[in-house]
Amino acid sequence: MAIIIDENTETIVQGITGTNAQLHTKFMLDYGTRIVGGVTPGKGGQVVHGVPVYDTVKECLAQHPNAKVSSIWVPARFTRDAILESIDAGIQIVIVIPEGIPIHDMLFVRKKAKEKGVVVIGGNTPGVISPGRALIGMLPKIAFKRGRIGTVARSGAITYYIANSLNLEGLGESTSVGLGGDPILGSNFEDVLKMFEEDPDTDAVVLAGEIGGVYEELAAEFIKTMKKPVIGFITGRVAPQGKRLGHAGAIIEGELGTAQSKITALKSSGVLIAETLSEIPVLVKKALKSFNSNS
Amino acid sequence: MRLYEYEGKMLFKEFGIPVPQSVLIGDPRELDKVIYPAVLKAQVFIGKRGKAGAIKIVNSRQEAELEIKNLLGRVIAGYEVKSVLIEEKIDIKKELYLSAIIDRKLHKPLILASSEGGMEIEEVAKSNPDAIVKHYLEVGEYPEGWTGRWIARAIGIPSSLISKASSIINQMYKLFLDYECKLVEINPLAITKDGNLVALDSKVDLDEDAMYRHPELKKLGISARHEVGELTEREKIAKKAGVPYVDLDGDIGVFPGGAGFGIASIDLIKHFGGNPANFMDSGGAPTQERLRLMIDLLMKNPRVKVIFGARFGGISRCDDWARAICQYIIENKPEKPMIMRMAGNMEQEGRKIFEKYRHEEPELFKDIKIYKFDTPIEEVIKETIKIAK
Repeated sequence: MAIIIDENTETIVQGITGTNAQLHTKFMLDYGTRIVGGVTPGKGGQVVHGVPVYDTVKECLAQHPNAKVSSIWVPARFTRDAILESIDAGIQIVIVIPEGIPIHDMLFVRKKAKEKGVVVIGGNTPGVISPGRALIGMLPKIAFKRGRIGTVARSGAITYYIANSLNLEGLGESTSVGLGGDPILGSNFEDVLKMFEEDPDTDAVVLAGEIGGVYEELAAEFIKTMKKPVIGFITGRVAPQGKRLGHAGAIIEGELGTAQSKITALKSSGVLIAETLSEIPVLVKKALKSFNSNS
Repeated sequence: MRLYEYEGKMLFKEFGIPVPQSVLIGDPRELDKVIYPAVLKAQVFIGKRGKAGAIKIVNSRQEAELEIKNLLGRVIAGYEVKSVLIEEKIDIKKELYLSAIIDRKLHKPLILASSEGGMEIEEVAKSNPDAIVKHYLEVGEYPEGWTGRWIARAIGIPSSLISKASSIINQMYKLFLDYECKLVEINPLAITKDGNLVALDSKVDLDEDAMYRHPELKKLGISARHEVGELTEREKIAKKAGVPYVDLDGDIGVFPGGAGFGIASIDLIKHFGGNPANFMDSGGAPTQERLRLMIDLLMKNPRVKVIFGARFGGISRCDDWARAICQYIIENKPEKPMIMRMAGNMEQEGRKIFEKYRHEEPELFKDIKIYKFDTPIEEVIKETIKIAK
């Protein structure tokens, strides 16, 4: 089954005629992802790697009514518009690749998505992959192998390194989800954790967070209610004080936001924290062993 | 993107929020306009400026000139003072707190207000949480008149000032929405002895990603900058090229892919006993110029003994990465070793590029190592640390 996408999921690509989108449309098709249509305003009627292009999402869905997932490849300044168009047209899951989407745009998107029950992943996500089944986004296929571990991370490259570490130790992934590196994200960790908890193909979950924001602290609350083991990896332990390293900023939340705060919160929910990438598969195996002997 | 106090106050004025009369010192002739006693405020991004010696009260022009000379160029808590704001001295009866922020847990904007102003709101949250009033708003919604009036009364503003206070609260929130801020804070908002309300300080944090929608900020002299505070020379060069870069004090140059792995590599280098010289982030799909500049920053840093590089190609392709490194090496003939790992999209194309150049210029590439995805990244880091030692 995996989560979010599998070999049967019909998907569309918004902004399909852009350079990066064209390249990755090719990669996604080669991987087996079912891309049924693309959308670029003003370019309706064109064809990209065999995929028909429409001017609007509504026109695209009229021709491909089973399309469930859309990935967004437009520049950040057009992203709010593109996501809202998908939400309005009836897309159920929107995967947002662009980075640097204005914060107030994402707050509005979250509100609209919630009203319509739509899942938004990202922005600044590398995408989602269910190895051997389907891939949406720009994740490099070489990093992933089909298996029974779910992963969810804020950073793209960390997503690849985690899968790579798992694979080197004989484990594989059911689905790997890039939560996104932007300050305000479409989904929280717990939205994805919930899907993994209910997925019969997932035995354990690796969660990777980093300094800034409160998404890891929010996840810790939910993890207390989970049956499946969660292994954590938090980066930014030795980040210099008062200097931002690329991503989200701090806001009034008491002590929340530092790597230490996240580690403490996750540990108190029973999460095993890995110090290095290669420690992740070791802890996954350990957690599975004790989980299996308990159940 | 944090604004200086005087920049925030320019925005306050635009929204009709009362601020003290002031002069920003760049030119000493400006001092002619000042009425004494006055308050000198060094423009630096720190709280508790009074305690840090960044705020002085002066009684004459002579005293003002002397203190300004002392302040300009001084480094206060790591920030160099580049400008000084001189304001009329306000007789304060009471200090209050106001802000508009985003609740990162609920993903909703809110107005925070408190009868206890003049100190950090985090401290009030600990010492006297009941003194804080919170009012949540729907995303995109502007407050109604009653919102401001209710908040004003809730923090003990007298009836006589309720209309003025309500206007300040609602205008502060309008500024927050209209300029798409992350934070607008008035701390303190003073009730003056003669019964007025004045915003004595400003803290405005803009969303850099939304600034393209506000070209009017440029007219006020507010242009995009990346970090709070002053940058080192290398950080300035990087910033100009749009590369997030932070100088650290170690000897291993870090040439990672994106921000996420950049943060992780610093942790891992420290974990295995090494010392990173920097943080860096290539951003998604970097250009050749950007990549070459990133390498150049590390090669020219005298502290750096060896460079650790990693590319897990997603949207940033391995072939682009390889091409930039090879061209840099051919053109600049650097002497520092580079220990790297490359995997991901367009990896085969990237390897071919390395092999071609290595074949042509074996001497230049003798200290350049590139591992594949079957070598754990930790092994590559350990080898780099060994060379640095």
